[in-house]
Amino acid sequence: MKWICSVLAVTILGVAHLVAQDIFVRIPPEPPTKNPLEGHADAITAGMGAYRVRCADCHGMDARGIRGPDITQVWASGRTDDALFRTIRNGVPGTEMPAFPAPRTSDVEVWRILAYLRTLAATAPGEAPPGNGAVGETLFVTNCLGCHRVGERGGRLGPDLSRIGAARARAALGRQIRGTVGDFRTGYAPVTLTTPGGQQIHGVKKNEDLFSVQIMDSRERIQGYLREDMREVKNEKQSAMPAFEKLSDAELDDLLAYLTSLRGTNTAEPADNR
Amino acid sequence: MCRTVARLTLMVAGAVILAASLVAQQAPPGLVTAQELLDGLKPDGSSWLTFGGNYTNHRHSPLTQITPENVNRLMPQWVFQTDTPARFETTPLLRDNVLYVTGPLNLAWAIDARTGREIWRYRRELPPTGTLTACCGLVNKGFGVLGDRLFMTTLDAHLVALDMKTGGVVWDATLEDFSKGYASTIAPLVVKDKVIVGVAGGEYGIRGFIDAYDAKTGKRAWRFYTIPGPGEPGNDTWAGDSWQRGGASVWVTGAYDPELNLIYYGIGNPGPDYHSDSRKGDNLYSDSIVALDVDSGKLRWHYQFTPHDLHDWDATEVPVLADLTIAGQPRKVVMLANRNGFFYTLDRTDGKLLVAKPFVVTTWAKEIGPDGRPVLLPGHVPDEKGSLTCPDVTGATNFWPPSYDPAQRLFFVNAREVCATYYAWRQEYVPGERFTGGAGQRARGPDMRAYGALRALDPTTGERRWEFEYISPSTSGLLSTASGLIFSGDAEGNFLAIDARSGKFLWRFQMGSALHGTSALTYMLDGRQHVLVPAGTTLTAWALPDVARVPSTR
Repeated sequence: MKWICSVLAVTILGVAHLVAQDIFVRIPPEPPTKNPLEGHADAITAGMGAYRVRCADCHGMDARGIRGPDITQVWASGRTDDALFRTIRNGVPGTEMPAFPAPRTSDVEVWRILAYLRTLAATAPGEAPPGNGAVGETLFVTNCLGCHRVGERGGRLGPDLSRIGAARARAALGRQIRGTVGDFRTGYAPVTLTTPGGQQIHGVKKNEDLFSVQIMDSRERIQGYLREDMREVKNEKQSAMPAFEKLSDAELDDLLAYLTSLRGTNTAEPADNR
Repeated sequence: MCRTVARLTLMVAGAVILAASLVAQQAPPGLVTAQELLDGLKPDGSSWLTFGGNYTNHRHSPLTQITPENVNRLMPQWVFQTDTPARFETTPLLRDNVLYVTGPLNLAWAIDARTGREIWRYRRELPPTGTLTACCGLVNKGFGVLGDRLFMTTLDAHLVALDMKTGGVVWDATLEDFSKGYASTIAPLVVKDKVIVGVAGGEYGIRGFIDAYDAKTGKRAWRFYTIPGPGEPGNDTWAGDSWQRGGASVWVTGAYDPELNLIYYGIGNPGPDYHSDSRKGDNLYSDSIVALDVDSGKLRWHYQFTPHDLHDWDATEVPVLADLTIAGQPRKVVMLANRNGFFYTLDRTDGKLLVAKPFVVTTWAKEIGPDGRPVLLPGHVPDEKGSLTCPDVTGATNFWPPSYDPAQRLFFVNAREVCATYYAWRQEYVPGERFTGGAGQRARGPDMRAYGALRALDPTTGERRWEFEYISPSTSGLLSTASGLIFSGDAEGNFLAIDARSGKFLWRFQMGSALHGTSALTYMLDGRQHVLVPAGTTLTAWALPDVARVPSTR
């Protein structure tokens, strides 16, 4: 009987060992530290195409940033090829920057994109933009904090701005504040629900399908509603964010000086993950 | 511990003896025959043995227990989870109350259809990450079956035969070297004694082909290259040596007409996809449908939907066969709703074009001319600056199966209304590397609404009979039934029942994941009609709760 026991034990251990192995996770080989395709004409052309298709929506055709940050400044600010490679490959967790994993995106493709970006890169850090951040913070508290959060304070109806300085180009922030940006970020499109009794619920759309809509209303209540329970579910054209035309240009500079200084509160985050 | 083990052993032994006595009472059904595959979906609903249910690819079940009136009473019976990070794109098979299901990542299962419990599991080791070249997901579209064997293509471009009872490998044939950009995800088509498969890799500079293998031995019976070689007709439609890496992949299962002895396959895009200076010419048989003699693999006829394609519009949509009367004349036809925006009906005896009509907004061609070629509109050649064209890269529809109701003579398809900016740039070919020479990007903007719709088309005219609109493009396949139901899915994860006569919404359930490329399946089990739904990483079986079970334990 004892041998049966041993055989069974060995079998069970073997099976357990197999189960414990994560068959789907493999560690990719380390990429080279320097872009092997830098200055390579064909790579730059291909990289331009790939950049325009996959990156320009957020970073702009000129790479100076729209929703995403200005990437013409990244080398001048000290980032290295391999760090940028990893940012593209892995994305930036917790932000809108997605990962571009293999095999759909090959190493060569990533290096091509970087080879192209290198041709647009500034050689030295740009001049410090105008504006007084301390004054900007006061303006922010008065005008923006109701809907936007920085660190532990502020509202939740609009996007959290705790690291907006790392995520957005300065010019893009300016355009957003002046109200000249047409489209809405996913999760912040304004919506109005009308109940059968005629009552209106204003909020921003977090999700939807054919039968339901999930919102945060103006009192920051998150809630899902069935379309059939509502008289109307209307997508608004006008953002909940007012166009701050009353801000003077100098005030806008101050506000931008404050916003671009916001780089996140998580100090444990490695510098590479900017 | 050992005493427990001993007790368990005794119990197992007891169970084996009990099982043996049960087996003695019930004769197991015979092996799956070629005739059974020819018969397709029978009125008793006892099996589902080919990709499209029938060789015609109708995906239209004769079952009528579930109706437009009672579909809202469907109840889940069980859920099976793959526990994988990748999702189903498969059509399961059913025989003798057991489901045979291929999954992502070279996995497959036999599952008890009564309970959703696994009977066996097959896993083929994947080559190291980064060496596989499957462009669009590590997926698989389903088994083929004959005798007591299942046939499955693999991501590393093999075809394996598995023992239906154990999942053990019976034979293993190499289609091509996967390191050169080849992969295979297609559900094999089994005809007579042959297993017919194709290869993916249209984005990796392959030279596509359709292969037939002997089901018994795994020996290759014939190969049809989807790009003709030097000296063969059509080779001159490729400039220089571009035919060697012109793509023309085969990754969606074809149809078979036993009377004509022909199989019909839609062929993939030419490569590089967008930058085409290097491949001047029509690029046969990319973006075509080919009719091959099933015994010899010889080409009988072809029709090219998109000559010299610039937009990655593979013709890898499911070809559907029917007998129709068009302009007063009875016709044996093959129908295909194409990624390029047109719906086509062809005479399947000779490939003559009978109907070609857009089923979505189509900006690149005015129409299909009397000579069968598209009448091109200017401004749709991609370049480095980009050009806007409808439909987008994913296309007006794609590999997700349509269905066809022969009683209503309606073709149902999940269509997409999306436009794209197409870019092209010169690219050198490197073996095993992505070779597209450009890309397409979905057009966005206030005037650019991207959405999808389930559309019912009259295949004798291409006219739309009705539509059911989604808020975004759906990638779900379809199943229709003789009781007047269509089962579909939307991109938001809803499993939907739609009235096949009117397009009206009937019932929904939020699956938590879209039916991406998958269709529901339906069959009878213990006297109750079941609907099986592969969605994401789950299989869910549904049935009506108020129909009594009649266990088929004879």
